Amino acid sequence: MNENVLRGSADFTEAIGNAKEINELLRRYGVKFGIYKNGVFKEQFFPFDPIPRVIGAEQFAAIEKGLIQRVDALNQFLYDIYHDKKIVKDGKIPEDFIYISSGYLAQCEGITPRNKIYSHISGIDLVQGKDGEWYILEDNLRIPSGASYPLIARELTRIASPEAFRSNNIVDNRNYPDLLRETMDYVNCGGVRAILTPGRYNAAYFEHSYLAENTDSLLVRSDELFVENNMLWHKTYSGQKTRIGVLYRRISDEYLDPLTFLPESLIGIPNLMEAYRSGNVGIINAPGNGVADDKGIYYFVPKMIEYYLGEDPILRNAPTYLPFYKADMSYVLDNLDRLVIKDVAEAGGYGVVFGSDLDSEKLAGLKDMILSQPRRFIAQDVIDFVDLPILDNGETVMRKADLRAFVLSGKTTRVWASGLTRFSRNPDSFVVNSSQGGGFKDTWVRSQ
Amino acid sequence: MKKINFYFSTKLTFDDYVHEHSFALRVIPPETPTQHIVSCELSISPITAVDHNTDAFGNNVTAGYIKGDHRFLDFEIKGTAETDCTRHRTDYMPCYLYQSAFTKPSAALASFLETLSDDLSEASVSERVQTISSKLSDVFRYQKDVTTSHTTAAEAFETSAGVCQDFSHIMLSLLRLNHIPCRYIAGLAFCDGETHSWIEYFEDGVWKSFDPANDRPVNEDYLVLSQGRDFADCAIDRGVMFGSYTRQLTLVRSVMQQGY
Amino acid sequence: MGTISIEHGNNLYWLGRYTERVFTTLKALQETYDKMLDGGIGYQEYLGYFDLPDIYNDSKSFFRSFLFDKDNFSSVAYSLERAYDNGIVLREDISSGAFSFLQIAKDTLKGAKGSENTRFALLPLEDVLYGFWGCIADNIYDEETKNIIYCGKSTERLDLYLRMKYPYEEVHKEFERLCIRLGRVPKNTPYRYNTRFLSDLVEIIGEENEYDLKSGAAVASLERLFESA
Repeated sequence: MNENVLRGSADFTEAIGNAKEINELLRRYGVKFGIYKNGVFKEQFFPFDPIPRVIGAEQFAAIEKGLIQRVDALNQFLYDIYHDKKIVKDGKIPEDFIYISSGYLAQCEGITPRNKIYSHISGIDLVQGKDGEWYILEDNLRIPSGASYPLIARELTRIASPEAFRSNNIVDNRNYPDLLRETMDYVNCGGVRAILTPGRYNAAYFEHSYLAENTDSLLVRSDELFVENNMLWHKTYSGQKTRIGVLYRRISDEYLDPLTFLPESLIGIPNLMEAYRSGNVGIINAPGNGVADDKGIYYFVPKMIEYYLGEDPILRNAPTYLPFYKADMSYVLDNLDRLVIKDVAEAGGYGVVFGSDLDSEKLAGLKDMILSQPRRFIAQDVIDFVDLPILDNGETVMRKADLRAFVLSGKTTRVWASGLTRFSRNPDSFVVNSSQGGGFKDTWVRSQ
Repeated sequence: MKKINFYFSTKLTFDDYVHEHSFALRVIPPETPTQHIVSCELSISPITAVDHNTDAFGNNVTAGYIKGDHRFLDFEIKGTAETDCTRHRTDYMPCYLYQSAFTKPSAALASFLETLSDDLSEASVSERVQTISSKLSDVFRYQKDVTTSHTTAAEAFETSAGVCQDFSHIMLSLLRLNHIPCRYIAGLAFCDGETHSWIEYFEDGVWKSFDPANDRPVNEDYLVLSQGRDFADCAIDRGVMFGSYTRQLTLVRSVMQQGY
Repeated sequence: MGTISIEHGNNLYWLGRYTERVFTTLKALQETYDKMLDGGIGYQEYLGYFDLPDIYNDSKSFFRSFLFDKDNFSSVAYSLERAYDNGIVLREDISSGAFSFLQIAKDTLKGAKGSENTRFALLPLEDVLYGFWGCIADNIYDEETKNIIYCGKSTERLDLYLRMKYPYEEVHKEFERLCIRLGRVPKNTPYRYNTRFLSDLVEIIGEENEYDLKSGAAVASLERLFESA
């Protein structure tokens, strides 16, 4: 029996029958994300699909092992890059790929966070190929979001599908706030926990406030904070100050400290980097992590695992080609029409082109670009990943879906036994982004 | 070796009260193989507690926070140093080979370098630096008030005129295009009544200094205050404050004298 | 967490005020409607309490506007939106549970708008608001935080009672309740009372005769109750 299938009399009918109620309850709890449409801020409900993704115990154990290995190697890489740069000196990664990356921040050279952990909360995006194999699509080591959605949904799916939970040994995922809190406390330099949000109009504001509530942290904006005597403080309404020992910040590196990074940043905390460098405040995740989750660096992660850990990678990358290397260049040029090309300089879903979508003229134009700027692009085989059933107007249809797994690193590295499964509503689309109208599912991991 | 006395002051005045003022100064000269700081005294007014840190580029950072209302921030350094041109620094960072925010080359900069390619091929790094600087002086002249502290190398080059900061940025851009690692230096020099800027380039495992604004090598009349990829890493003072002021007046004075 | 920023203090206070404004306005409108059944007073009396012009064609359009029109600053719908705006940035202080009641209240109000019998459809809204206050009482551990919300709530209720000329006994009771809450506000925080304006209120509301004569002055003093001395 396929271990990913539920056992006993439980199928998904009970969940499907309660889909409307679950969505209604999620809406009631404010499970929304903000978007700007034509300059106007709107809060949009994040649609929940009642049919969970189920991952068997054995399979999850393999994924878990692979993720821990990958994140450990990425953390060692980050330490290395901001210190000795051995991996570059040993010729495993060409220097150019490090220093042209916009995620590399020279200002972070020499800073050593506790236990040399840079990525405390890693969001690793995976897909399962039709061959059953799991592939890593992307590492998110800066401010990955999404854990709050399956977390709050589980509270409701347990009510909606009691039979499935009774007979299937599904690992309880409601420990995420505890994991997060332990991770925060591990880097706490003495003071209260705080989550820094850009404010209510940020797309992930629900998550910021929900995680603050559940980890008993302050939810703060930068104008409530200041640095004095190399320490980070919260201004209270009585004119007093409260020391902050760890800051889980949900704003990007370049806005974090206007006296170190972008001077025009209005959402940063002046001299935060001084307090951080002095070891007086922990920052989650460490600034400068962008150098490790860059599209160009992705190619080298399996090599990092071999280099730092002396192990073979457990989880595979999607087959990737770097035109920077001669052999790869000729392969890319010969097979451009069936590859997906990614511009290393672009972020998010931008700068991603499927060769099959281009006419011969555009293909020729792209070839010229790749030839003239080989470092700027990577090419990947298009993975034919599995479809998952989703409920669409009362009918079950098959759609593309990925999985964002959350890996938390502190004293040890642990994988949250759940994750955010996002799917595309459009049958022809591979794009699962919530801003594109996609939805999410609960992810059930079986314990046996 | 030369003994020099240095003095540098900045007076920031605001036209209305400001408060919750955070600042970071890069004004205390670092101790390096080429300069021994015999003494250096920093005073800041309004009197406030400060912290001294070292940043990623090896600069001394003085960080402070003034909570209450104030209309000015004055700081000055006074001290004595021994400079030694015969010695060299070796504190290398690979990022110095790569273009930074202020030095991103334009097509005009790239084609300017292209016109020098005959003179540059087969020349040593030092020779290339001198050639580029000398040719740059032919097309770029020193002039105040045509650029600002935000002007990039590409923008300044288009203007054909600027101050020492612009000379340095253009020089860094051209040297990096020519695959020579190099960095921005902010400091004090005998020739200036304000702060000065020049560059360092990396050759044979050591840093060597050159002053593109004066098109000449650096001697013992120069005192380094800070170094980095470009001006952004070396700003003498950066600050963020609250208040409804509309103007900020900055008065800068520096004095360098032969010490005894 | 025991550390309240200026912004959060402000949000807590206004959450209390707006949620209470929803409740008391709803009650007052119900009462006005009820009285009108017997043909006694008209809705103009209600407008008169707040010095608002009569721009309504009939009582039906008056009630629709004061219940559902988000652009009418005196409506239930407007106050509820403001309560929600303050609540959404306070989730970690007031709990997701309390916050969800504001969403339920919005849904209930919206549902009543399309209903045949509006008064019937609005009955559950009161229950929802009681549910909200139950969550506030039960889920907020920090007394200082909770008390700011209650100060807002009591201030708002007293303000509306004064403006709508509620009977002395009821006003007096609400004032006593407010005083207890004010007494719990720590010194040097923004919701510490201003002694001068509090003593004005004590004088006016302390005596029934004074109250009859000076309820307008009481409203003015209440407005300035939290001015820093």
